Amino acid sequence: MRSEIITAPETEAPATPVLVPLPRRRARARRGLTRWLLVVVLAVLSLPFVFPTWWMATSSLKPMSEILRRVPTLWPQDPSFDAYGRVFTLQPFAQQYWNSLYIAVVVTLGTMLVAAMAGYAFARIRFPGANALFVLVLVGLLVPAEVTIVPLFRIVNTLGLVDTHWPLIVVPVLGAPAVLAVFIMRQFFLGLPTELEEAGRLDGLGRWGVFWRIAVPLSRSALGAVAIFTFLKSWNLYLEPVVYLSSKESFTLPQALTQYVDAYGGPMWNVQLAATTLTVLPVLAVFLVAQKQFVQGLAHSGLKG
Amino acid sequence: MSAHPTRARRTAAAVGALGTALALTSCAGGSSAPAGEPETPDEPVELRMTVWTADEAQLELFQTIADAYVAENPELVAGVSFETIPFEDYTTALTTQLAGGNAPDLAWVFESNAPEFVASGALVDLRPVLEGTDGYAADDLVPSALSLWEDGDGLYAYPFSTSPFAVFVNTDQLAAAGQPNPADLVADGGWTFDAARDIAAATAQDTGKQGLVVRDFDYQAWENLATVWSGWQAQPWSADGTECTFTDPAMVDALTWFHDAVFTDGALPEPGTTADFFAGDAAMTITQISRASSLDDSFSWDVVPLPAGPAGQQDVVGQAGIGVFAAGEHPDVAADFLAYFTNPENAAQLAAYFPPPRASLLNGEDLAAANPRLSAEQLEAVVVESVQDAVTKPAHASFAKLSETVRAELDALWVEDADVEAVLADTCAAITPLLED
Amino acid sequence: MAASAAVRRDRLVGYTMVAPVVLGSLAFVVLPLVMVVWYSLHEWNVLANTFTFVGAENYQRMAADPGLADALRATLWFSVGLVVVNIALALLLAVLLNQRLPGTTTFRTFFFSPVVVSLVAWTIVWSFLLQADGGINGFLSVLGVEGPNWLRRPDAAMAAVIIVQVFKNVGLNMILFLAALQGVPEELQEAARLDGAGAWRRFRSVTLPLISPTVLLVSIITIVGSLEVFAQIDVLTGGGPGSSTTVLVYYLYQQAFRFNEFGYASALAVLLFVIVLVLTLLQWQSRKRWVFHEV
Repeated sequence: MRSEIITAPETEAPATPVLVPLPRRRARARRGLTRWLLVVVLAVLSLPFVFPTWWMATSSLKPMSEILRRVPTLWPQDPSFDAYGRVFTLQPFAQQYWNSLYIAVVVTLGTMLVAAMAGYAFARIRFPGANALFVLVLVGLLVPAEVTIVPLFRIVNTLGLVDTHWPLIVVPVLGAPAVLAVFIMRQFFLGLPTELEEAGRLDGLGRWGVFWRIAVPLSRSALGAVAIFTFLKSWNLYLEPVVYLSSKESFTLPQALTQYVDAYGGPMWNVQLAATTLTVLPVLAVFLVAQKQFVQGLAHSGLKG
Repeated sequence: MSAHPTRARRTAAAVGALGTALALTSCAGGSSAPAGEPETPDEPVELRMTVWTADEAQLELFQTIADAYVAENPELVAGVSFETIPFEDYTTALTTQLAGGNAPDLAWVFESNAPEFVASGALVDLRPVLEGTDGYAADDLVPSALSLWEDGDGLYAYPFSTSPFAVFVNTDQLAAAGQPNPADLVADGGWTFDAARDIAAATAQDTGKQGLVVRDFDYQAWENLATVWSGWQAQPWSADGTECTFTDPAMVDALTWFHDAVFTDGALPEPGTTADFFAGDAAMTITQISRASSLDDSFSWDVVPLPAGPAGQQDVVGQAGIGVFAAGEHPDVAADFLAYFTNPENAAQLAAYFPPPRASLLNGEDLAAANPRLSAEQLEAVVVESVQDAVTKPAHASFAKLSETVRAELDALWVEDADVEAVLADTCAAITPLLED
Repeated sequence: MAASAAVRRDRLVGYTMVAPVVLGSLAFVVLPLVMVVWYSLHEWNVLANTFTFVGAENYQRMAADPGLADALRATLWFSVGLVVVNIALALLLAVLLNQRLPGTTTFRTFFFSPVVVSLVAWTIVWSFLLQADGGINGFLSVLGVEGPNWLRRPDAAMAAVIIVQVFKNVGLNMILFLAALQGVPEELQEAARLDGAGAWRRFRSVTLPLISPTVLLVSIITIVGSLEVFAQIDVLTGGGPGSSTTVLVYYLYQQAFRFNEFGYASALAVLLFVIVLVLTLLQWQSRKRWVFHEV
């Protein structure tokens, strides 16, 4: 564990008495100026990151004609929340929200469990064929979704699971999307000192006991990173739901967003953007609250290196 | 992956007024057997139709018609469901369903896919069922509207939506620029592409906005230019689809006119410029008349037929069809349902959204009842007369590949100093192998 | 040699623990891949429902397909451009955010926010901004620069697609680098500073080697990801102008879902898989040369 070095490094010279030698003070002043320049650089760099999201949120309050303006307007000329009401009347949006939420939660929990077990076993337990099996699993990291969507659909159809949520839960938890999580957990456990586990064994814990009572609690930060990755991925999954699901009540959010169209198939931008805003803001809020945890979780995880 | 404004609108147009649809199929090549009289199944079956509309009112109407059918035929069907596939991903999802062995019973088919679907043998011949259904009045169907969906004597989809292209005019902008009213020009025979170009250029000059927009073209969906080059009697390929005609004088003239109107006269927006007529960004637009629903009252507007070209005035319609998949589980029942779904009474109801291919329903009054934004006179002038003798946008059994290849070649045309003849020669060189396939 | 009961029990636990993901990989990764290879040996038109064994014909066709050559060239440019710009920007942002500047938390949130925004909304906004007379060129003209017609010129279109994609996802890589930077012991930096090393020198010689494992992993993930980018290209350029932004996945998608050539598309999928595999192996092999220490 390297938690002691996770705190951000000090970049400033330690606090000094008021009477510092002149060159030093000048150096500090220069550094202060540089720092403010860097803040300005950051602010300018932020623009392309922030503006589209800003546009998305504010455009949900605009009428269609204003949204389609070539040079976007920063603030609606005449803000209106009408679109938000229509989000819920045009589709069972609450149901779809719930679908996305419960699928993402189940997938996240399932992936954490599967990845923790597999990651632990690949890192800690010696069994014949471990390396070969690990390589087999890693193949999943290399397969774009478009490559296997047709055979996967055939498999799902053969099992009679079309228009159910099963393929959206089982395939991510056990298939290619889980591989990155397994990899992260394995790297984490590789870097974990063995002393604590040995102590546990001396106390009479079996392998499962060590795993549940010692290894899993210690891996909370890495599991946190896995959870965030997995949740985001499931929350934004698009191609698979479009292919597997056919009734509106079973749709997930990214798919539902494309269904706000007028009688001629033209998108109702303001309603679509209102629905999009509703799907994005909660996730952004969670990140805002949990980002410290997130960064540190990654710092602890194998991804740090 | 979804709605880009451009693509979405392009698709919307394709779907929208004119209608297109997609169809699915199964059975191996060649024409499949015609749908027969449905034998009563052991137990009532469930039918599934894929559509790309997500409009509640439309889906509700479909369901009402379907429920009535179920009530009349309880021993045949237990229910009909309408499955909305997002517009942008319609073909992907449908194709995946087909590839996965899960073909729907019925499906909407995009116009541009029509020859491919018709020729593939994926769809069931509907003619025997439609003609054999009491009260269907199959002879009421406008023959020209059906031709895209026919192969020999077979009819492989029903063009439930047949919507003409027209020119919408922002009369406020034209008046402010002191330009003549196109409706007056129509009356005295002066409504030509040249006149439209001059009005568009002058108005754009005056407003600082755009002149004439060929909606959904966006320098990508080139087939929408059919609304222009048809005035020159130009076509991308011969009627039998085997010979490239991009290099014919008519096409060279038409595209030279178009190129110069864009780059010399400034009458049309240049590539990479988005202008939405309905948002007030352009003086005129060529699109399907069903887009009238996109108009609010922020400016006054009119709708007129397509202008005349050197070869005279030619109407163009867009279509969408409904087909029955031979690979579906119950093609006979599905065809019987389609005959009910589109019988005269139900076609009149569907006309609220989709101009029907039935002569008896193609009159200004009936259509006006369904299209409150347009007057009976406007509809009479633009819809009724045009459906009879209209051409459709280009179609081909290999349309997807042709569309992509032509798009890539024509990109060289959309620069100021393009050599029109050379680009079109390259285009023909590129697509000739595909046409000969 | 028979293993002891304890060792056997331990092995059993190991197999049990990896069983879900191993069986899942067999069912949902390996089996579909085998099916794709099988499809690639057929001419399969979904619409016409023809499925005919043609042997290696699809692979021979690849060799003579000018469209594929264009697609591979576009893929190369796209992936190289994306990886270089993405990694460089991610590192820059991470280093800047690691300076304890005022507002760091806010900026971190800003840079990360596109990661959670829907790709659809993101790309739509950019397609407006990149119009010839759109927001970007409007901004440039204020600076006295005349911007190109971004999405209509081959080189500019490729650059635009790359940039839009980088802004969307660079936040994730930035966070990974930031986490790695925070793991670099301050004592080493301090020692280098006392040795008189400037900021760039310290970064080159101390920081970069220490975070090189992260750089390796991030570039692998980014390269693999770059080969899967499809929707952005579809929305922004549709593969054009000409075929300048038709990358391999987009080409594959066209063949399968637009042209109904599932057999050929499956062969392209096999090619894509092999490319990803080879690239990853190459990077993994090269790690000893440039990665400072093993994980």
